[in-house]
Amino acid sequence: MEPEIRIIAPQGRLDAAGAQPLEVELKQRIAAGETRLIVDFQETRYIGSNGLRVLLAALKQAQEQGGALKLCGLIARLKEIFVMAGFDRVFEIFETREDAEKSFRN
Amino acid sequence: MSQKYSLSVSSQFERLAEIADFVADAACACGLNEDQVCDAQMAVDEACTNVIEHAYRGKPDGTIHIVCERRGKEFLVTIQDFGARFDPNKVQPPKTGDPLSKRRIGGLGLFFMRKLMDRVEFDFSSGPGNRLTMAKKIKR
Repeated sequence: MEPEIRIIAPQGRLDAAGAQPLEVELKQRIAAGETRLIVDFQETRYIGSNGLRVLLAALKQAQEQGGALKLCGLIARLKEIFVMAGFDRVFEIFETREDAEKSFRN
Repeated sequence: MSQKYSLSVSSQFERLAEIADFVADAACACGLNEDQVCDAQMAVDEACTNVIEHAYRGKPDGTIHIVCERRGKEFLVTIQDFGARFDPNKVQPPKTGDPLSKRRIGGLGLFFMRKLMDRVEFDFSSGPGNRLTMAKKIKR
């Protein structure tokens, strides 16, 4: 059986304060062997460099364990920030959660 | 006469949302358009995160003083802290074109500040701490 896909949907602002609970959750999931992860940004209004760092670290950890961390649901402003940082080349980014889920199954 | 908008907050990450709201209101009142307001908000968020992390090294009882104003065709933000000196020249810029295996985790805050604002200047001559001025040309 394929391992489960875990979806995490942070809300509000992923500034240095908002990135902390996300970091804890991602670390716990990955430590528990849940390495097929989707972060859905539908309800995220802002991401700063701390939020980006948390995602980058989690992506590396997930990949080291043979998994992946994929992103979806980014509003235009968030997409711009990802592009500025060159993160669009590092992460797989999908429009919808369904698209991201499908990519795990293909 | 240009109006000044000022805010003093303690050096805690939990205050960043309040800072973002303050900057949005001031930037809007000074005539920045919606995209520019977001740019200024992020630049100030990154600057204040650096102040909390590096100047105050996570200590929550420091003070961050932020002043926003319109001067001519520019929106100016000044951020003053009283913590340890921060040398921006020691921060290596991130290599945004590097693949994942080579990407270092760090240096992004200053990178965004410089990318989003037209001028980013550190001044260490005026007493203790760091005084950062950032400017953005006002487009309508």
